[in-house]
This record gives sequence, C-alpha cells and structure tokens, in this order.
Amino acid sequence: MTLVLGIETSCDETAAAVVRDGEDILSNIVASQVDLHAQYGGIFPEIASRAHIEQIYPVVEQALETAGAALPDVDVITVTRGPGLAGSLVVGVNMAKGLALGRSLPIVGVNHLEGHIYSLWLAGPEYRFSRSDSPSADGEHIPIEFPVVILIVSGGHTELVLMTGHGEYRRLGGTLDDAAGEAFDKVGRLLGLPYPGGPSIQREAAQGNPSAFDFPRAWLRGNQGKQNFDFSFSGLKTAVLRALKECDPEYVTDEPVSEMIPVVDMAASFQAAVVEVLVGKTIRAADEHQAKEIFIAGGVSANTALRSAMVAEAGCPVRVPPLSLCTDNAAMIASAGYFRFSAGERDDLSFDVLPTWPLTR
Amino acid sequence: MLGRSLGTVLQDGDIICLSGTLGAGKTSLMRGIAAGWNANERPTSPTFTLVNEYHRQADAQRLFHIDAYRLNSPEDVCSTGLDDILAAYGVVVIEWPERIREVLPVDVLWADIQITGDSDRAFTFSARGPRSQQILSDLKNRYTG
Repeated sequence: MTLVLGIETSCDETAAAVVRDGEDILSNIVASQVDLHAQYGGIFPEIASRAHIEQIYPVVEQALETAGAALPDVDVITVTRGPGLAGSLVVGVNMAKGLALGRSLPIVGVNHLEGHIYSLWLAGPEYRFSRSDSPSADGEHIPIEFPVVILIVSGGHTELVLMTGHGEYRRLGGTLDDAAGEAFDKVGRLLGLPYPGGPSIQREAAQGNPSAFDFPRAWLRGNQGKQNFDFSFSGLKTAVLRALKECDPEYVTDEPVSEMIPVVDMAASFQAAVVEVLVGKTIRAADEHQAKEIFIAGGVSANTALRSAMVAEAGCPVRVPPLSLCTDNAAMIASAGYFRFSAGERDDLSFDVLPTWPLTR
Repeated sequence: MLGRSLGTVLQDGDIICLSGTLGAGKTSLMRGIAAGWNANERPTSPTFTLVNEYHRQADAQRLFHIDAYRLNSPEDVCSTGLDDILAAYGVVVIEWPERIREVLPVDVLWADIQITGDSDRAFTFSARGPRSQQILSDLKNRYTG
C-alpha cells in the first residue's frame, strides 16, 4: 500500500489530500478563495498568494487528520509544479519541500493538467457513461482502456489530448485565443452576471432558448480544408457583444444590463455554441484515433450541457469527474503523482515552479 | 495590417498600451504586432497566466504580452514579476493598462480602441515621450507608405 500526500496551490484553491494507491481518496481538503476574488471579477495574484500562505498549513494538517494518518505514514509527497500563477505555485512547492526535507520523504512535482486527467482515476463506476454497454449500476468497476481522448477545459486551458498510457500524451489541439472557461467568465461579465461565469451562465441558460441567437461556431480548418483540433472562442465573445448592442444601443460593459437584453436566451445560445464545438471536435478526435474512451476534465467539465451532449453523441464510453473533482483539488495531484512515483520518478529538492509548463514536454 | 506594421517598428524597451473594452480587439491587435515582430508562436489570451512571453528566430529579443485587468496594486505588479519585465529589455504590450497606470514609465505608446461598428474599430494613438513619438512616426510611414 502506498499513501500519497498531494498539495495543490496553482491558482485560487489551497488544497491538500491523502490518496491510497492512486485511486482511493482518504481525504480531500479544499479551501476556496472564490468569495475573496468574486468581488473583483477575477483572481488577483497577490491576494491569492497571501491567502495560500495563511491556509496551506491548516489545510495540510486537516488532510492528514481526516485521513487518520500522520506524516510518518506518508510514502511520498506530490505537489503541483505548474502551470499556474508563480506566486501561488511557490507556496505549495515550498510547503512540500519542507515536509519532504524534514521527514526525508521522496517528492514528485506534478503537472496540473495531468492532475485533471487523473481525476478520472478517482471517479467511481457511476461516472462512466456508455450508450452501448449495460450500465455499471451494480457498482462494478470497469478499468480505463487506452487510448483515451481527453478534453481538458478550465478557466486557463482548453486542450484536446490523446493519452496512450500512463504519462504518455500527444497534444491534438488547443485554443488559439481564449480558454473555454475564460469565455464563460468574460461573457458572464458582458451579461452582468456574477463571477465565476461558468455556474452563472449555466443557471441562466437553463431558462433560456439555445436557438434564440445564432452565435458563430469556429470549426477552424487547416491547410487542406480539413477541420483541425484547435479552438477559438474570441470571436464568440465579440458576437455576444454585438448582439448586446443590437438589443440595446445604449449597452455599456460593466454597467447593469437593461431589460431590453434577453439574458437567459443569450446565455443559452452562447453555451450551446461553446458546447457544440467542444463536443464535435472531441468526438471527431476520438473517432480518428480509435479511442476506447473519452474523458472530460477541468472546471468546465462541471457544465451539465457539455456532459449530456458528450454522452449523447459519443460512440464510446465517456468518463467525467464528480463535481467535487472538477475544480482544482489535491487528490488528483496525489493520483497523478502516485503513477509517476510507481514508475520510479523522483524529483530532487532543487526543482523550481514552472508557471507555463505544457502537458506534453 | 495595423498591428503587423506596428510590430515591424518595435525595439527592445518599447512599451505599447492597448486600451479598450471587452471584445474591442486588443488581443487581435497583439496578434498582428507579434506577426510583424516575427514571433515564433501565435499569441493566445494572457488573461489566465497574466504574462505571456514570445521569442523570435532573428535575435534573443523577447516580446511580453500582459493582461493587467486583475492587477490593482503595486504589490500585484511586484508579485507577478511585472516590475522586472518593465525594467528589463524586451518589447512589452499591455492590455488594461489603466489598471497599473501609476507604475508605468512615462514614455509609452498608448492606443485607445473604440468599437465603431460590427467589424469597424477606431484606433487613437498617443505618444507620451520621445521614443513613442518615434514609434508613431515610423508606424505612420510604414502603414501609409
């Protein structure tokens, strides 16, 4: 048995977790700063960094206590090394190094995006959706089969990745401008909805008509006119802005929106445009690479319209993380770190944070 | 074309401020600047990372793309390393520059982007020192000539 302590401070969540053998969560503690940043409509780096410093120690203690473990029981310490905000990453990495040094424990630095992928190793059988197989409602665990096509969608990332084995990735495409989650945040701001934009837009969209506005779908084609696996959401943001001005010529961003604006229909039509492209490209990638499974990971994977459209249209099983593992957490870091540790990887204590670390090196 | 022309006349130490509302086209203009400057990669949004850095084949010069929307204090500027970037050599393009006005050097080229129609934009440049005046006159020659 291997006990892994995971630490994650790449953005605005201070998190620590204890995971057994890469798949069993013994504790998963997340101290969120959302309330702290909501008033500003985004994450402010200096505030985030200070909040991490205040919370990291109690969060790690609580993770150990909830798991019924003490530091000497831990076999390896894993920590997010990047990508993320430098001032935030450094808090978690220094904490991890301190613990590793003090207890002479091995340490493994983990890529945050790889962490999101491994949130699927922590998801139970009820998070595997398949139209063809009989449902695994009896709780039978069906092991993950490679190759897997993974859509990572969050506030900072939109990546389509082919995974052929543990730690083996090929990037198929990604966003050319705004990340999907960023588009939700920015359109939420345009519509005068509270930050973060993802949940706000999903809430409004539930009451709106997704065909009310015909917002553009950027399918993006390569040189031979063949669709590629890249994404673009910047034009969609501009299209929403244009629609806002057509509904209300007096519209000004960051001022309360007037009653002339059908917020619910705009939210629904915007969400439909994002979901259609994300799902369409993911499924085409899965077909092209004969994927055995599709994963959706990252904060935007919490979006129910995205989940149901993917499950409805995919030709292979789709796995999504439970809501508690969609957003940033340390259990996924511990799981990813466990598989690297099992493969013999160790970092020495001199490693630094990597704020722009791509998944595929 | 405007961004591309601007990109060709920039040198180490130049600071370009792009001011305009959401959807005005700040990142699009930056993409033109990067193309004109001969960047190896196509810029993506710096909103999440706050700072993106680009390189080119020709020399060791660097191009920084900054989103200052979430920076609202001199401490923020310090903790993101922006103070170092502004002090170091390289070309710096800043979106939402009004957020960090107090820490910007005097001699910057300031571009205001106004949305004037569906796909029409009006650009107003103001040169705030001798170097930015030089950039503006080079841009004029390049863009109209």
